[in-house]
Amino acid sequence: MFEKLVNPDSVAVIGASHNKNKIGYVVLENLKNNGYGGKVYPINPKGGDILGFKVYKSIEEVPGEIDLSVITLPAELTVKIFESVAKKSRFIIPIAGGFGETGEKGKKMEEEIRSIARKYGARIIGPNTVGIYVPSTGVNTALIVPERSRFPGDGDIAFVTQSGALGLLTMDSVAMYDVGFSAFINLGNRVDVNENELLEFFGKDSKSKVIILYIESFRDGRKFMEVVRNVSKKKPIVVLKAGRTVRGGKAASLHTGALGGSDAVADGAFKQCGVIRAYDEVELVDFARALAYGKPIKGEKIAVVTSAGGVGVVTTDYIESEIRGIGMKMAELSEATKKRIKEEVVPFASVENPVDMTAQASDDDYDGVLEALNRDENVDAILVYALFQTPLISERLVDIITKWHREGEKPIVVGTIGSEFALRMMRRFERNRVPVFPSIERSVKALKVLHERAKILDYLEGEE
Amino acid sequence: MNEYEAKNLLKEYGISVPNGVLLETVEDVESVHLNYPLVAKVSSEKILHKTDVGGVVLGIKDEKELKNAVRELMEKFHASVLVEEMLKGGLEVIVGVTKDSTFGHAIMFGLGGIFTEVFRDVTFRVIPISIKDAELMLSEIKGRKLLEGYRGIKVDREALIDLLLKVSNMVQENPEIEGIDLNPVLLMEKGLSVLDAKIIMGR
Repeated sequence: MFEKLVNPDSVAVIGASHNKNKIGYVVLENLKNNGYGGKVYPINPKGGDILGFKVYKSIEEVPGEIDLSVITLPAELTVKIFESVAKKSRFIIPIAGGFGETGEKGKKMEEEIRSIARKYGARIIGPNTVGIYVPSTGVNTALIVPERSRFPGDGDIAFVTQSGALGLLTMDSVAMYDVGFSAFINLGNRVDVNENELLEFFGKDSKSKVIILYIESFRDGRKFMEVVRNVSKKKPIVVLKAGRTVRGGKAASLHTGALGGSDAVADGAFKQCGVIRAYDEVELVDFARALAYGKPIKGEKIAVVTSAGGVGVVTTDYIESEIRGIGMKMAELSEATKKRIKEEVVPFASVENPVDMTAQASDDDYDGVLEALNRDENVDAILVYALFQTPLISERLVDIITKWHREGEKPIVVGTIGSEFALRMMRRFERNRVPVFPSIERSVKALKVLHERAKILDYLEGEE
Repeated sequence: MNEYEAKNLLKEYGISVPNGVLLETVEDVESVHLNYPLVAKVSSEKILHKTDVGGVVLGIKDEKELKNAVRELMEKFHASVLVEEMLKGGLEVIVGVTKDSTFGHAIMFGLGGIFTEVFRDVTFRVIPISIKDAELMLSEIKGRKLLEGYRGIKVDREALIDLLLKVSNMVQENPEIEGIDLNPVLLMEKGLSVLDAKIIMGR
């Protein structure tokens, strides 16, 4: 469906430029620097070459069909040359703004390019879009200043967003954790390709383990529910939907209309099709990482492992409280578990839950405690804090926790607190695909999301 | 659609409403065979919020009071009057339907009175709903404890779930419905009754 969009054999850049500040240059630079392996066709009537790529004077000169054409020209020019591009292209990304978002005239131009594309069977992403970014194939049409921001690498998260800027900022904000993305697509004004088609596509894409969506308005709400219901049986979908406070269009004469507003209805719809809802850009990626790497948590009973007592106490509050918390339960550890921890592992530790191993804990002590907790039937999931500030803890703790994450039966979430060193360890966890979070609250929320995922799978089971 | 017609539509779908009759003239009072106390309400699709305009008389104890109430309402509003048996006790909830521009018809449930007015403690689902959806709706409002039997007030959860499913079904079969307010619905230890119903049809 969209294979040749995210993995095109050829990319044309219409409006290719020698000017380093122009998008017509940046796209070519991105293709070169990201190691894009297909054919590149810069188009500019002046000809010559840019960044070592031969420039074609017109798109007609390009031999054969083009999988992806990026138009970096202003709106009016985009419309003018659109037919010549549509004739040869499978996918077209018109970058320019100045279309429907500016008024009636822009809407007419959108209608024009849509009907041209339809005539030639080409598909449009945008316009008014930063386009797409696919780390694994090196396709990147987005304009950012490299000295001041970073693109993330390859990974498990497919990201579809209505806002290009928020999407790029979100990726930049997590790039330092080495969080990876399978693909990023900015819908822009969405004159053609919409979120429902992309959700369906990424639902089948084996590289994408989870799909995240930032959206302000739905193209077709009922279709969205149908697609999501199917996809979320196989992989999780996290949605950040804006416009929570906008009341429903008709301030109806009935109570029900006045009480709801469209967001309350959307919230209900999400529950019926298995959407996991995030409320900001931090939750959006946190939840995605939890779901991409972690296992669903079927029960409510959490065991907490820490070497810092206070962390355990605050975590307990966050786990059990309904207000500023997730309303789950602290596990009652079995006598066998307590005995095992006390006698075989850490005689100095508190063997109640949270298991506080104190600052005397070593890497091997963690290993022993995680083993004991994995055998305890009263435990549905483990939140383990990897705190690297004490003397007997080493980087090996990452390997030990990773081992239990991969081989253990219980779902594991890792919390870590600290500065540069902790950040480095977070990156190692991330590369190992272990769900790790840099604060108590964010770690606990990850537990909640994994529990929600189990409930969604349960809810969707047996649905038509 | 006026309240009488709305309640007839509800009855067609097996939804309980109080026993009642529609009176066109004051003389019709003589043919009323209902159990007192009664309530008399002006029945006109033009008057959506009856209480606000003095269109409801509660706690009518005998035929004399009924005659006075009906005469007063008819003179004031020049419309027919719905007379119903007055039910008491139990827990008031609200069930409604709205038509959302993105997702279409959606059903709402919440606790009545200040719980909806002040706390907006309501929940929505897109129609049609399944029995699982209805159960989740009951369990996710903040005042859910009141539905589990609180301070001796027992309520019929099954009847409420059944009501939600029936309303969902009714809207599916009558897609021209634009909005519904069943407010209040009186939940009793056994069964329930829709005390007031507003249904708005689209053109």
